[in-house]
Amino acid sequence: MTTSPRRRFWRYVSTYAFWIFMTLLTLIPIWWMLVVSMRTRVELFGRPNLALSRIYLENYSNVLTDSTFQRYMTNSLVVSTANALLVMILALLATYALSRYKLAGRDNIFFWLITNRMAPPAAFLLPLYIMFTRTFRLGDWTLFDTQLGLILLYCVFNLPFAIWLLKGVVDGIPIELDDAAMIDGAGLWGVLRHVIIPLAAPGLAVTGILSWIFAWNEYLFAANLTSVVARTITTALAEFVTVTGTNWGELAAMSMVTLVPSAIIVIFAQRYIVMGLTFGAVKE
Amino acid sequence: MRNPRVGWALLSPTLIILLIFGFAPFLYVLFVGFNQWNVFSADDGLVFNGLDNFRRLVFDDDFLHSVGLTARFAIFAIGSEVVLGFVLAQMLTRDFPGKSLFRIIHTFPLMVAPIAVGAIWRLLVIPGFGPVPFFLDRYFDLTYQIGSYPDQALMTSVLMDIWHWTPFVTLTMLAGLSSIPREPVEQAKVDGANRLQVFWYVTLPFLRPVLLTTVFIRIMDAIRTVDEVWMLAGGGPGTRFTGIYIWRVVFPRTDYGYGSSISLITLYLTIVLCWLLFIAISGRRKGEVE
Amino acid sequence: MKKCFTIVLLIAFALVANMSLVSADDMWWADAAAPYAGTTIRGVSESTPPSNYVADVLAAQFTELTGINVEFETTSWDQMYSKAINDMEANTGIYDFVYIEQDIIYSYLAQDYLVNLTQFAADNMDLASADYDEMAFTSFADYFKNADGDLFGVPMEAFVKVYLYRKDLFEDADIMAAFEEEYGYPLAPAENFEQYADNAMFFTAYGEMMDMDLWGTTVQGSTGHPASTYEFLESIGPSFGLYNWGINLDAGSAQSANGGALDGDTAVEALSFWLSMLPYAPPEATSSTWDEVASSFAAGRAAQGWVYGENAAWIATDESRSAVTGNVGVRLPVTAPGVIEAAQMGEGYIGYYDGGAFGIPHSSRNKEATLLWLQFIGQPAVQAEWAAAGARITHTATFDDPLIAEQDMKVDGYYTLLEEQGPLFAGAPPFPFHAQVREIIDPFIQRAILGELTPADALSQAAMAVDEELARLGYGM
Repeated sequence: MTTSPRRRFWRYVSTYAFWIFMTLLTLIPIWWMLVVSMRTRVELFGRPNLALSRIYLENYSNVLTDSTFQRYMTNSLVVSTANALLVMILALLATYALSRYKLAGRDNIFFWLITNRMAPPAAFLLPLYIMFTRTFRLGDWTLFDTQLGLILLYCVFNLPFAIWLLKGVVDGIPIELDDAAMIDGAGLWGVLRHVIIPLAAPGLAVTGILSWIFAWNEYLFAANLTSVVARTITTALAEFVTVTGTNWGELAAMSMVTLVPSAIIVIFAQRYIVMGLTFGAVKE
Repeated sequence: MRNPRVGWALLSPTLIILLIFGFAPFLYVLFVGFNQWNVFSADDGLVFNGLDNFRRLVFDDDFLHSVGLTARFAIFAIGSEVVLGFVLAQMLTRDFPGKSLFRIIHTFPLMVAPIAVGAIWRLLVIPGFGPVPFFLDRYFDLTYQIGSYPDQALMTSVLMDIWHWTPFVTLTMLAGLSSIPREPVEQAKVDGANRLQVFWYVTLPFLRPVLLTTVFIRIMDAIRTVDEVWMLAGGGPGTRFTGIYIWRVVFPRTDYGYGSSISLITLYLTIVLCWLLFIAISGRRKGEVE
Repeated sequence: MKKCFTIVLLIAFALVANMSLVSADDMWWADAAAPYAGTTIRGVSESTPPSNYVADVLAAQFTELTGINVEFETTSWDQMYSKAINDMEANTGIYDFVYIEQDIIYSYLAQDYLVNLTQFAADNMDLASADYDEMAFTSFADYFKNADGDLFGVPMEAFVKVYLYRKDLFEDADIMAAFEEEYGYPLAPAENFEQYADNAMFFTAYGEMMDMDLWGTTVQGSTGHPASTYEFLESIGPSFGLYNWGINLDAGSAQSANGGALDGDTAVEALSFWLSMLPYAPPEATSSTWDEVASSFAAGRAAQGWVYGENAAWIATDESRSAVTGNVGVRLPVTAPGVIEAAQMGEGYIGYYDGGAFGIPHSSRNKEATLLWLQFIGQPAVQAEWAAAGARITHTATFDDPLIAEQDMKVDGYYTLLEEQGPLFAGAPPFPFHAQVREIIDPFIQRAILGELTPADALSQAAMAVDEELARLGYGM
C-alpha cells in the first residue's frame, strides 16, 4: 500500500500517542504496587505521594529470604507449568478429534466442555475436599496437599477454555492440508506434527500462556485443597491480611516478585504469536 | 479414512479428567441442593426437602439483588473489554518500531494474581493512603469513598476488571487475527472492498469462534468472580455479586443445602445465557448441521 | 587399686555433672514423649504475631525437647475457619490441633468436634505435666469450658478492646484551653458518651482548622466485612447494656416482643450513637476492619477510639509501624451509667474478651502427642517472652514477669488493665450458631452505616431475619 509521507507521519504520531496513553493507564497500578513495596508501614499513611521517595528493600529481603516463600514459589512454578503443558497436549488432541472426526453428539460434547468452567467454585469446594481426602487415598497418601492434585484440578477450568480457543484455530486449517499429508504417507502423528502444530502454533502459544497464567493466579482451590506441602504463592499473599494489620509493603513486594516468572514466560511465548502474525493475512 | 474410534481415543483423556474433577462434584452439589443441610443447625444431618431451597431462593432479596449487580458488572466490564481488546489487537497487527515493547507492557496486568490486583486497587482507592480519592478531592472536589457509596464500589470493581482482563481479550483476538488465511482478504481487496467491508465480511466471520470463546470465558469468570472483589471491597453493598453471595452462604453460614441450590441456579442461568449467545454469535440454529 | 577408684569417682562425677545440665523438667518431657518421638503433629492458625511466635520459636523448642515434630500452617482468617471446619466435619484428621477463636467455641462444642482436655489429661496421667495447671489461666479460659467446667482449648492469646487516646493532643496546653473555652469543662479522656461525642466533635473541627489529617474518633465501620457488626454487637452494644447480641437463647428470639432485645430501645440508642460518630471518623472508616482501624490510629488520624488490644502494644511502641509511639493513652471503654456496676456484680459485661485457644479435634490421630504440645505452650515458663512478642497474656503468672512490667509502662498500663479489669469483659455469647446469625445481621448493620435504613428500622428488620434463621436452624421458637 502506498501512503504519502505526511500521512504516514501523522499515523505514527497518533499510534504512539495512543500507545503511550494506554501504557500509562496500564502501568499506574503496577507503579503504585512498586511504590508501596518500597515503603515502610508507617510511610504508607498520610498524604499520598506517587513518587518513589527512596529505595527501601527490606520488604523484598524479608520475602525473599523466607524459606516458606521459596517453597510456595517452587510449588506455583511446578503446578502452573505442568498444568499448562498438560492442557496444551490434551486440548490439541481433543480439538483435533472434535474438528476432524464425525463423533456422535459432537456439538453437545463441545458445549458440555465449557460448562465445566461455569460452576461457581464455592459450593464445589466441599465435594472436592471430600474427594481429595477420602476418595483418592492410598494408605497414608491422599491427593490433598499435593502438586498433582492441583495440576489435575486446574484442568477443569483450563481445558474447556483451551479447547474452545483452539477449535477456531484448528477449524481454520484447511482439511485439504491434512489429506495431502496423509496421501504423502503421514500417519496421525505425522499430520499433527507437520501440519497442525506448525499452523496452530500462535494459537497454541496463546492457549499455553493463558492456561499458565490462570493456574498461576488461582487462589480458592489452592487455599482449600493444600495445607503445608503444596501451597502456592497466591495463598501466601492472602496471609498478609491479619487482625493486627495488613502488611501491605510485603504483600506488594511479593506481588512484584511473582510478576517476574509470569513476565519471562509471556515474553518468551510472545515470539510465537509474532511469528503467527508475520504469516497472517491482516498485516499491513 | 477417519475412524471415529481414533477420535474418541484422542478425546478420552480430556473427558476422563473432566468427568472426575468436574462432573462428579457437580453430582454431589446437585444432590445436596435438594436437601436441608447446615452443619451448625440443631439437627445437623441432611434432610431431603425437595424444592424448598429453590422456593426460598425466589423470595431471597439478597440473592436477586446480587444477580442484578452481577449483570450490571458483567455488562459494563465485558462490553468495554471486548471493544477495547479488539481495537488494541487490531492496532497490534500494524508494524511500528517498539511495538513488541508496548504489547508486552500491555499484558502485565494479566500476570498479577487476582488477590494482588484486589489488594493494589484497594490501596489505590481507600481514603487515608489511596492517591485516587486524595487527588479527586484536591483537584476536582469529588468525594470518593467506596465504603460509603455502593455505586462507586461497583464502578471501581468494573474499572478494576477492565484493567485486569482487557489484555486477555487482546491476546485471544490477536491469536484469532493471526490465524485468518491470507487469500480471502487479498481477494476481497482485489474485488474493491473498502476496509470496513473487509472487516465486516471477511475478518469478522473468521473471528467468530475466537470472539465467542473470549466472550464466554469472560462472562463465566465475571459471574463466578470472588478473589479480586473480595480483596477490594469484601463484597459489601455495591459489590455483593452472586459469586461472593454464594461464598458467604456456603462458608460463614455453612448453609450447604441452600448454597448448593443457588450454585445450581447460577450455573443454569449461565448455561442458558451462553447457549443463547452461542446461537446468536455462531449463527447456528437447532438441527442445522455445518 | 587406688588409681582405679579415682577413675570410677571421676566418671561418676562426670555423669552427675552431665545430668545436672539436663533439668528434671526436660527429662520429664523427653520421657513422656518417648513413645511419640518422630511423629509429626499438624495445626492450623491465623497468621498473627502470637501464632507466628508459636510456629517459629515454641515449635522448635518443643521438637528439640521431645522429638515430636510440629508442622504449623498459618493462613488468613477466613481460610483458617473454613479449613478447620471442613476437617472436623468430614472427620479427615488432617489437623491435630486447631486454632479456636473464642467466639466459635460453642458452635464447635455443640457439634462435639473437640476433645475434652481436662478429661483426656485425667485419663492419661503419665502425660500430665507438673508445670501445666489449667486453673492458672486468666478468666479468659472460662470461655473455653463446657457447663461442667472442663477445658476444651488451651488459651494462646487474649485481648480486650480498649479506649485509646492521643496523650500528646489531650495534654497539649493550647488544645486544652481551646476545648474548655468552647465546651465549658476541661478536656479529658472520655468517661461518658456525651463527653466522647464532645471530644470527637472538637478534634474533628480542630483537625479541619489546622489543616491536619485528624479526626475525632475511630469507627470500625467497614460495609464489606463482618468487623462492623462485631464492633456494634460486642463493643458498643454491651457498653450501653445490650448483652448477648440482644438474642434471648431460651426464647429463641431476638425480637423484644418475644423476650429478645435486638430491636429494643437500648439497641437503637447504641446504634444511633455509634452511627452519629461516623461524621467525626476518618473517611476510611466505612472501609475499615479491625486492622485498618488500628492502622488509622497508628497513623495519627484519630484522637481517640475503640481499638482491639492486640494492637495497643505495637501502636504505642513500634516506630516502624506507628507515628504515635509514646503518645498512646489506654483506658477502659466508655460505658453508660450502671453498666460497670452491673458487670462488677456479674450481671453483664462491658466489652468483648477476645482471643483464641488451641484445641484437639476428635478426628486427630495423634491426640497424646498433641496433648503434650498443648501443655508445653500452656506452662508458665514460655509465657513471658511470648507475651512480649505478641502482646498476649493468658496466664496469671505472666503479669508479674519483669519483662511484662517493663512493657506495661510503655503501653500506659494496658497489661495492668487486663489483669485488674479483665473479668469485666466477657467472651462471646454461648451460641451454637455464632457465624450463621452474625452473617444474617451483617447486611442490616451495613445498610444502616450507608444511611439506607434508620437505626430503628435496621434493627427491627435484623431481629426479624435473625428469628427466621434461628427457626430454620432449629434453635428458634
